[in-house]
Amino acid sequence: MIHAELLRRLCRARDLLRDWEEAPLSVNEVARRTGFSRFHFIRLFKAVFGETPHQYQSKAQIEQAQHLLVLSDSSVTDVCMAVGFSSLGSFSALFSRRVGMSPSSFQQRYRLLAGNPRKLPPCLIPGCFSLMGHVSPKLAISEKRRSDALDRLRGTYENQTKQHLRR
Amino acid sequence: MPWIGFAAHMKIKLSSIFVDNQDKALGFYTDVLGFKKSKEIPMGEFKWLTVISPEGHPDVELVFEPNANPAAKTYQEAIFKQGIPITAFEVDDIDAEARRLKKKGVQFTMNPTDAGPVKIAIFADTCGNLIQIYQPPQKKS
Repeated sequence: MIHAELLRRLCRARDLLRDWEEAPLSVNEVARRTGFSRFHFIRLFKAVFGETPHQYQSKAQIEQAQHLLVLSDSSVTDVCMAVGFSSLGSFSALFSRRVGMSPSSFQQRYRLLAGNPRKLPPCLIPGCFSLMGHVSPKLAISEKRRSDALDRLRGTYENQTKQHLRR
Repeated sequence: MPWIGFAAHMKIKLSSIFVDNQDKALGFYTDVLGFKKSKEIPMGEFKWLTVISPEGHPDVELVFEPNANPAAKTYQEAIFKQGIPITAFEVDDIDAEARRLKKKGVQFTMNPTDAGPVKIAIFADTCGNLIQIYQPPQKKS
C-alpha cells in the first residue's frame, strides 16, 4: 500500500521531473533525491501514474514547448533549448510524433489563434463540456436505456462524425 | 411568484473527471475497473469520451475530461498530493474488489477501512487521480 509519506515522495519526484532549473534531471537523479532505488522508482511511478518517469518527463517537455511556442516570442530553437533539449533534430522529431505536426507548423497555426495579449486558444485547452458543444447534446448523452438502442445510436454518431470529418 | 408545485427539471446524466490522457483513461477504466465505453467521438486533438457502469444506471455517464488546461492540471495535482479522491464509486463487496484490483497491479493509498457507516478504500487511477470505492452500510458483510 502507498502510505501518505510515500505518496508525497512520488509527487515530489513528479515535480522534480518536470520543474528543473538548470537542466532536466535524470531519472536516476530524481530517484536518488526522493529516496527510491531506480528499479523501485520506475515500477512504482508507472503503477501510480500510468507511465514511466522518462515518459512523463518527455511528455511534460513537449507540453511546455507547445505553450511557449504559442505564448512567447521565442523561436523554435530557443523553445527547444528552454524545455531542455540540446538537439533541435531530436526535439522536432519527438514533437512531430507527439503533436502530429512540426514545432514551426504548430507555432504558425496556433499563434494566429492566440489573440492579443496572447493566451492559449480554447481548442488547445478545452473544458470537457465545451467538447460536447461540437456535437449536439442529444448525440453526446444517452437518451435510450436499452443497449441495442445505444448501439444503434452509436452507429449514427460514428457516421455523423465521419461525415463531419469529410466535410 | 408562488413556488408551489415547482419540480426540478434538470437531470443528472453526466459526471466528469480530469485525466492526463484520454486513451490511457479508457484503457484503465474499461480493462482494469470494468466500465463499458459509451461514447468516443473525436474532436480535433481531443475526444468526447464517456464510460458507463454495466452495473449502474444506464443513463449516467462518466466523462473523461482532458487536463490540457494548466488550471485543471494544477487542481488535479494539488488534490492528488493531499491524498483526496476526486470521486467515489459504489461496490457491493469492497474486500473482494480491492483484492481483484490489486491483482491487476492497482496501487491503493488506503486499504478497505471502516469509516462510520461505510467501508472505503482509495486507489490511484493511473491518470492523475485518486478514486474512492465504498461499500454502503446495508450491504456490509
